[in-house]
This record gives sequence, C-alpha cells and structure tokens, in this order.
Amino acid sequence: MKSSEKKLTLLVISALIAFGALAAGCGETDKKESAAKSDSGQAIQKIKDRGVLKVGCKIDVPLFGFKNPETGKIEGFEIDLAKAVSKKIFGDENKIEFTPVTAKTRGPLLDSGELDMICATYTINEERKKQYNFTEPYYTDPVGLLVKKLDNIQSLKDLDGKTIAVPQGATTRKAVSEAAKKDGIDVKFAEFPTYTECKAALMSGRAAAYAMDQSNLHGYVDDQTVILPDSFAPQEYGIATKKDNKELCDYIDQVLKEMKKSGEMDQLLTKWKLKN
Amino acid sequence: MAEIFAGFKWIALLDDRELFIEGLITTLEVAVFAMLLSLILGIIFGIAGVFPKKWVRCVDRVYVEFFQNTPLVIQAIFLYHALPHLHIMLPVIAIGILGVGIYSGAYMSEIFRSGINAVPKGQMESGMSQGFGYWKIMWYIILPQAKRTILPALGNQSIGIIKNTSVLAMIAGGDLMYTADSWAGANMYYGPAYLVTGFIYWMLCFPLTKWVQQLEKKAEVG
Amino acid sequence: MISDVFQPANIMFLLQGFKVTLEIGFFSIIFSVIGGTFLGVCRYLKLPVISTLAGIYIDIMRNLPFLLLVLVVRFMTPLPPVMSGIAAMSIFTAATMSEVVRGGLNAIPNGQFEAAYSQGMTRFQVLRFIVLPQSFRNIIPPMMSEFTTIIKDSSYVWAVGTEELTGRGMILIGKYSATGQLFTIFACVALIYFVLNYTLSSLARWKYKQMRAYIH
Repeated sequence: MKSSEKKLTLLVISALIAFGALAAGCGETDKKESAAKSDSGQAIQKIKDRGVLKVGCKIDVPLFGFKNPETGKIEGFEIDLAKAVSKKIFGDENKIEFTPVTAKTRGPLLDSGELDMICATYTINEERKKQYNFTEPYYTDPVGLLVKKLDNIQSLKDLDGKTIAVPQGATTRKAVSEAAKKDGIDVKFAEFPTYTECKAALMSGRAAAYAMDQSNLHGYVDDQTVILPDSFAPQEYGIATKKDNKELCDYIDQVLKEMKKSGEMDQLLTKWKLKN
Repeated sequence: MAEIFAGFKWIALLDDRELFIEGLITTLEVAVFAMLLSLILGIIFGIAGVFPKKWVRCVDRVYVEFFQNTPLVIQAIFLYHALPHLHIMLPVIAIGILGVGIYSGAYMSEIFRSGINAVPKGQMESGMSQGFGYWKIMWYIILPQAKRTILPALGNQSIGIIKNTSVLAMIAGGDLMYTADSWAGANMYYGPAYLVTGFIYWMLCFPLTKWVQQLEKKAEVG
Repeated sequence: MISDVFQPANIMFLLQGFKVTLEIGFFSIIFSVIGGTFLGVCRYLKLPVISTLAGIYIDIMRNLPFLLLVLVVRFMTPLPPVMSGIAAMSIFTAATMSEVVRGGLNAIPNGQFEAAYSQGMTRFQVLRFIVLPQSFRNIIPPMMSEFTTIIKDSSYVWAVGTEELTGRGMILIGKYSATGQLFTIFACVALIYFVLNYTLSSLARWKYKQMRAYIH
C-alpha cells in the first residue's frame, strides 16, 4: 500500500519539477529574445515566423472598429490601418488576427504578450507613454457628452453636482474632471467596464451624461439622446505596442508615415467619412 | 513581468490608500447588512419551506429556485439599470445589500429548511399535544436544535456574501473591487492593485473559513 | 416596440452569447471535476508534499472573489478571451470540487476499508472499486450545485469584455433602452439561465433519488 502511494507522490513531484523547468526555460528564452530585440529585425521576424499579426481592436465603435451585426465582420478605419501594417509585414493584409478589446483590457493584453499591437481608439498621453510605446497620432478626436433630450441639459455647466458615466481605462474621466474644474463645477463619476453599460446608465438615469470621444458617441446616439456641442480635450489616437518592443513601434510608425505621404491615409479617412 | 509590480506602482498605491480603505468600508457595510437581510429571509422562507400549507411551501420553492438558478450579476444589473425605469432609484449600496441579501437568502432558506427537517418530527407533534402554538414550538424547540447543523452552513454563506459583494464592481458600486479596478484602469498599475485587493479579501474570508471548519468539527462530534 | 427586440438577428446575437456561456460552462465543469477529484483524493490519502500544496491552493482560492481571478487570469496570461474565462473558472472551482470530493470520501465509514483490506485489496483498489462509487451518492448533489454556480458565475467574464450571454444581453440593452424592451431582454436572459440551471439541478435531484432508492 505504502509503495504505490510513494510512486504517486514521486510522479506528481517529478511532474511539478518538469513543469517548473519548462516555465523557467520559457522565461529564459523570453529574456534572450528581448535582449536580441534591441539588435535587429527580431520582433518583426517573430511575427513573420508566427505567420499572423495579433491586433487588439474595438468592435463597438462605428467607423473605427465595429462588428457588423449582419455580416459578423469587423470593419472600420482602424481595421484598415492594421491591415496596412499586416500587408507591409506579410505582403498580405489578411494575415491578421483581431482580438476585441475594451478600454480596460487593451493595455494589459499588450503586457501579457497576447497582442502585438493595439489599434483601438487609444489616446496618447504622458502617463501611458511611460508604460507603452505609441506611434505618431493617426487621428484626433475631442471628448464629447451624450445626454438625454428630456433632461434639458445644454452644456457641461448644467452637469454640476451630477454623475457622469465613463468607461474604465479611458482618459475620459481625467479630461472631463479637468474641464469641470475649469468651468468651476463639481461632477461625480460612475465607471463601467464597457461602453454599452455607460449608455445603459445614461438611459436608466443612473448618470446624467455619458462622456466619451465623440467618434464613439456617434455610435450610441439615438432618438432619445443628443450629443452636446461641448467638445474639449482633443484626444490623439496612436497605435500602441509593448514597452520593450520599440522595434515594432518604429516599424508601424514607418508604415503610418508612408501612408500619410502616399495619400493612402487621406483615402481611408474619406472612406470612413472621418475627414474634416 | 517584473514591470507589472514595479516599485513606483506600490508607492502610488500607498499614496492612494484612502481610496482603497473607503472601498473596503463599503464592502463591509454591504456585507454586514446583506448578511442580516439574508438571515431574516432565510428564517422566513426556511420555515415557509416546511409549513403545513401547500401554497406557502410553493412560494418558498419559487423564491429559492428563481434566485438560485439565475446569476447574481443579472440580478444586480437588473436592480441597478431596470428599476429606475419604474421610478425606483435606489442608492448603489442599497442595491448591493438587496441584491446580495436576497440572492443569499435563497441559499440560507434552504439551509434553515434542511436544518429544521433534521429535527425529529416528533418534536413538533409532542409540542402540539401539549397545546403550544406552531410558532412557539418553532422558535423555542425546533430552531435551537437545528442550530448545530445550521451554524457551519451559515458561516459558509457569510464567506460567500463577502465575496459576492464584488458584484458591485460591475455596477459602479464603490466597493473594494470597483475601487481597485477603477484605480488600476486609470493608471494601469493593476499588479499591485489586484494583489493588495486579493490579500484584503483573503484576510476577511480566511479567519471566517477557519472558524467554520471548527464549527463543522464540533457539529460532527456532538 | 417590444417586438423589435425579437428580430431574428437579435435572437441569434443573444444565442451566440449563450453558446459562449455553454462553452465556458462545459469545459470548466470537466476541468474542475478532474482537477478537483485529483486534489481531493490526494488530500484524502494525505499524500505528503501534494496535500500541503493542494491545501494552500484551496485555502487561497476559496477565500477570494471569482471576479478577481477573472481579472488576474485575463490580464496576466496570454490566453484568448474565452480560454482565459475557462482557465479562471476551472482553477477557481477545482478548489471547491476537491473539498466536495474529500468530504464525500470522508463520509464513508471506516468499516468499508477494514473489510476490504481483510480481503487483501490495496488502498487504491479499495478507493477505485468500493469507496469512490459509494461516495458519488454524497458527492453528486453538492457537485451539481457547483455546476450551476459555474454557469451563473460565468457572467463575471463580461467584466473583461468577453461576450457571453450576460454581455450580449447588456449590448442589446444599450441598443433598446425603452422600458418595455429593457424588461423583455432581462427576462429573456434570466429565463435562459434559469432553464439551463433548473434542468441541471432537477436532473441531479432525480438521479440522487434514484441512487438512494437503489441503496435502500
């Protein structure tokens, strides 16, 4: 009896050791890779070897990253941008794997290595630059406010003492609280994991307004709501990559520069009716 | 991996500890009142589950089956987003207490029901033959005996209640989990945030777990 | 207006979310039962090293909220959305399952062991042919309760954007925010969860009654 127990124990312990060694080995390989990354095209090579570019995108922002409920395909300006990068790497714009992200999840998914790049209405700011690499901006969008028509709110000032719904992980909260301070008013915030819940909060009256980048709000306006004329804190969107992957960031930056020069960027902006 | 737990992030957490303490207080408030509510509901519906009248037992079944078979998340989101449409705008803490309390109450009532059923039926009959009313017998004779089996299960439910208060994080409830999420969402320092939050929940629950284990041992021996 | 909600596209949309819920539920049930049984047996047999490690793991998992684990697994591992939900749920529930299994094994009277050993069976044989099959009677009800908990708590993965049933419901609510439509969507989502869970628990009760009838 005791010997079969001992056997099982040994088996499990050796399995644990093997697993531990494997994990440690993977860790070692990662370290070697990131050391090599700073040398030459290692990062790009890794993507080429994998055969697919892993991109995080939005699926609920019309015109930028939106899953068409009828076709089930994700389409938008940012989708096309990502495809352009994939075309440059693979010569084929469809060697790409899109993972839907929310404002809350996009950053951490870069850290964990699940995604190569994020192209998801990601605003560039100093704090974020400390943690991720950003390309040059490819679009600028101010923050706006969505309110219910019935509430008779005309501007940010009317929201004094009220609650504003914002998504978790977005720069919106900071932008709105700064604008509120400037206007000399006080606002409260309720944060939600996704945009749809912010809209639900507005509709149920839990929040007096839903604050978000205007391009996003356009997807949520309906016949009971209206976007206020207020617009503040212009947000510059950039493509983000992992902090230690400067290589990939520069590569994507190059792609964007070329697109701007060749007029392809303008074409895309016009295609998605984003040109001002 | 190391950057997720970088030093400056911990310092930032320390600087903002008041936020987390407020969140913890909210969690505790909701937990305590939800425990009270679920206990009351548990006793009421537990007795209802063994009541001689069939329709009363039916009401208990409906309550228990509905709240045990639907997610707490749905119940909480419903209270938060749907009630206002009926012009019932409850403060978020009340929603937490109601949601977690009613949900746990269903489980509590099953605990009370089986605890009561474990007491020999003869007790009720002999009590009746002495001329005592149903409720007096229940309160003075049956429930005290059921206590020994019920207590450990109640303890387990309480631990569940503390953990379930985290549902408030999904409806901007201001509890510990929401605070951690919100703070980490703003500055991406999610390493320290989640670790500390996990630790605090663990500190709240672990002593209770150990106490329940002791209760369970006592229940077995006796 | 309420009928707008019931367009085929919307129903498909919701059911696709239900499919994700079922995926997460199905695989989590399998993995947590396997993991939980393994750990429970190890703890019951008081095998050295593993028992202690398992004990620590169980003591941690059972005192944390599941939502926290969802967040941690999603953000710290490179797993795609649904798989990370399954991983989080399996890791979390295996701890509870192992305690259920251990409790069920403990409830078997020692007389069974003694009788079997006197026949010359090894500990493992006793476990496999005598103790485990009997302990199923004790284990099935709490296990089924855990299954329904798995399906209900799968709704927490919506916090990280994974579109299961609850998430799909919320998206529809964002679109159809009139009072009647809102309540209808909630009712539909709750109904789907209810039907699934009630079916599971009824099956368990029926099987349990069958087993008891057989033993007696």
